[in-house]
Amino acid sequence: MTLLSVRDLTVKFKTRESSVTALDGISFDIARGERVGVVGESGAGKSITGFALMNLLSRPGYIDGGQILFEGQDVTKMTPKQVRAMRGNRMAMIFQDPMVTLNPVLTIGQQMIETLRAHRKLSKEEARQIALVKLKEVYIPSPEARLDQYPHELSGGMRQRIVIAIALLLDPQLIIADEPTTALDVTIQADIMDLLLEMCRSNMVGLMLITHDLGVVSQVTERTMVMYAGRIIESGRTRSIINDPQHPYTQGLINALPQQTPPGSRLKQIPGTMPTLSAMPQGCPFHPRCALATDECRAVMPPLTQYGEVQVACHEVQRLHRELAKMEAAQ
Amino acid sequence: MLQYTFRRTLAVLPTIICLIVICFFLMRLAPGGPFTSERPLPPAIMANVLERYGLDQPLHVQLWTYLKNIFFHFDFGPSFSQRDRDVNDIIAAGFPVTLTYGFWSAVFVLALGIPLGIIAALRQNSLWDYIMTGFAIFSQIFPNFVLAPLMVLTFTLAWGLLPGGGWNGGQWEYVIMPAVALGTSYLANVARITRSSLLEVLGAPYIRTARAKGLAERTILWRHALKPTLLPVISYMSPVFVYMITGSVFIDVFFSTGGIGQSFIDAAYTRDYSVILGLAILYSVLTFVLNLGVDLAYAAIDPKVRSGLK
Repeated sequence: MTLLSVRDLTVKFKTRESSVTALDGISFDIARGERVGVVGESGAGKSITGFALMNLLSRPGYIDGGQILFEGQDVTKMTPKQVRAMRGNRMAMIFQDPMVTLNPVLTIGQQMIETLRAHRKLSKEEARQIALVKLKEVYIPSPEARLDQYPHELSGGMRQRIVIAIALLLDPQLIIADEPTTALDVTIQADIMDLLLEMCRSNMVGLMLITHDLGVVSQVTERTMVMYAGRIIESGRTRSIINDPQHPYTQGLINALPQQTPPGSRLKQIPGTMPTLSAMPQGCPFHPRCALATDECRAVMPPLTQYGEVQVACHEVQRLHRELAKMEAAQ
Repeated sequence: MLQYTFRRTLAVLPTIICLIVICFFLMRLAPGGPFTSERPLPPAIMANVLERYGLDQPLHVQLWTYLKNIFFHFDFGPSFSQRDRDVNDIIAAGFPVTLTYGFWSAVFVLALGIPLGIIAALRQNSLWDYIMTGFAIFSQIFPNFVLAPLMVLTFTLAWGLLPGGGWNGGQWEYVIMPAVALGTSYLANVARITRSSLLEVLGAPYIRTARAKGLAERTILWRHALKPTLLPVISYMSPVFVYMITGSVFIDVFFSTGGIGQSFIDAAYTRDYSVILGLAILYSVLTFVLNLGVDLAYAAIDPKVRSGLK
């Protein structure tokens, strides 16, 4: 059953002269309890997508078109009051750096209790009890004492657990996790990911995991979307995307993984850099870096097309499939 | 917190003793003395006078006596230029005046500056914001010694609304102009600092978190943004409180309010050693007390500082 359905979502950023397009009409669905990974390099529009879903884009960014149907309601058409009622309640977000995402002048307890009381009629004591339960769920040692502590008294890993506990407070249907482990120590990253996965599984919570770590994506998610320059260029089951990437960009990403390179030799990389929003090339945005680019790629943007279980936006893939079909027909 | 206050207070004592010693010798280095005048006194009378005030003793003995009197009798000595008044009297007469309009000036600065800054930040690039910025620039080019005469010209001479000087026991009509003239340029700075601080705080990741939790904008502003916003305002105000009290010299002279600023000027002209020293000590103790107050306010807001105090 569909929990979230995004159609032709376009996000623009106002600049002094005109505006640049950060998200160019992306569409995707997330089912109830489904875990979806969003990968791509910095600036591809992953975080923007997350913010747009929460209606958290701040000036100069704005939603220019499309719809975001969440539990049947269009987020882009909600009143500020409806948006507030949704945020942190039905849809929660976990941010990147737990060192700066908790308010330094409020105690952990205050920050948890206010969230509960913003959405439910609870006494402070009742809210405190719920907060305690959630802290226990995310394996915070001596939770009672933590409630009265300030963020600076806790370690980064502990803070991110608390951020996760806050996100889970009101049993949301969807959690958007924006690089939840990037700012953490490598040794803690795996713990936090395991925790997030466990929480989503046991509570049947949908997860949109924004990351550039393909290893994490393959561990945690069922489906993956690859983004490039504000577009989804490949999407499908995580296993098939990791094992059999179709788009040259996704192939490049997978080949760039250190595991794909024999020890001692140079790591593979995709040549060039992603185009900036203000200087988007004609046609496929990836063509300047693509070894397979043809004149068609330089002129026409390839549409996201369904091939079996995956969707790919690439002329080359389209050609291959056309030839395959021809060969099958000839046989 | 109490222990911290106590420690700080203890630490300030040696500082003040150093300050007394330095001031004591610096003053004696200045040419002239309290009893030098155009027409020199006959030597016999001069000797008499010097003996009466203990100025015939060697310097180190004078210093020792002075320190002893302060620490054991809380007596800052007699005034050398005003007959039958001692320093304690002069401070007791002038300090309440300075403190009164200094206090109202601080109230004026904070009670108006912070809300102005908040409004300007919330309505960034609006008319309000421009008015506030314009006002900030305006008050920079009109420091108190320009503003005070302008105010007297307007409110006293042209409109006859407020008295142009005097104190009259600190009635409100007499307090307004000194307090406003003293505070206006600080008010503009406070508004400016509040504005930029709030803008910065509103862009902080933890404010985004607060929004993502579904809190109302009002809650976000008052609960999440205000305290961190005030931190730079507090550190700015720390020296300002002291400037307000010490910078009152001009206000005292211009409005004839009779505060200690006036006494300071008079004492400097007449080389009234004991009054100068007494006021210097008063100012330094005041500086200490206000700085301590600001540090405690800082600790009250910022838990990180608070845990550092323990």
